[in-house]
Amino acid sequence: MNKTEFTEQLRAALKGLSEEDLKKSVDYYEEMIDDRMEDGIPEEEAVNGLGSIDEIKNKILKEIPIVNIVKEKIKPKRGLAGWEIALLVIGSPVWVPIVLSLIITGLSIYMTFWIIILSLYVTDLSLFLSGILGIVAAFMQTNGFATGLFLSGIGITLTGVSVLLFFGFNQITKWMFILSKKFVLWLKKLFVGEKKSAN
Amino acid sequence: MENQMKRGLLDVCVLAAIRDEDSYGYRIVKDLSPYVEISESTLYPILRRLESGQMLTVRTAEHNGRLRKYYHITDSGIERLKQFESEWKELMQIYEFVTRGGEK
Repeated sequence: MNKTEFTEQLRAALKGLSEEDLKKSVDYYEEMIDDRMEDGIPEEEAVNGLGSIDEIKNKILKEIPIVNIVKEKIKPKRGLAGWEIALLVIGSPVWVPIVLSLIITGLSIYMTFWIIILSLYVTDLSLFLSGILGIVAAFMQTNGFATGLFLSGIGITLTGVSVLLFFGFNQITKWMFILSKKFVLWLKKLFVGEKKSAN
Repeated sequence: MENQMKRGLLDVCVLAAIRDEDSYGYRIVKDLSPYVEISESTLYPILRRLESGQMLTVRTAEHNGRLRKYYHITDSGIERLKQFESEWKELMQIYEFVTRGGEK
């Protein structure tokens, strides 16, 4: 791939970003290629050494807030004509609820994410507390030694399980974060780049 | 190295690379590569992040008939480096403690 091809492909991959973001990114990579070539690296090598277009795209997208990407997508490309504005106003009973429900869906996905994490820890805490309570109850009860042994056994087991689960849940939380990052990147990719045609 | 830690370290490395004099992308990569694994594509998001965090400013200058961007460290950038130095002293103490195996 030579510099021109690279630039074209990068531009296509980043289509959908704001003009400023697009220009900045393409300028940067052009400058890198020029500097590499000035340093004596042949053009092909200078381009290929930068990594694949897809990797570059991912790195660029990760730093751009999703809000900016969506905003750019829905921003009209030109000024709206009077009749279009009129149509938008008349049609608002239709599109306002749709947009609102989209926003709410997004928010609820986000909340679900946090609530799952929260519920894991609440479950763990309740296990731990009931375990402790079992141990305490073993000493407070008046039904005899056997019951005491039984209660304290359950209590200790529950406490132990809750401690083990705590580490497991930490790991799950970590995975959830990684997953959510991947999800956001995937969302961004829906908005940016030309659809790949079969080649 | 843990991702989060590496990210923070790279930010500091880039700031250090432009502390004494303004520099440009390719040179920053070259200056840093003996010390830390960094590529042009990794550098780009870092520069943008540092710019939006006002740790550095960008100016465009002509070089060999084309344009090149030069990065200049700001006061907050220098502040960040100083902060890193003091954090590091603390970390070194922990390091010593850990490698001695916690003995007195």
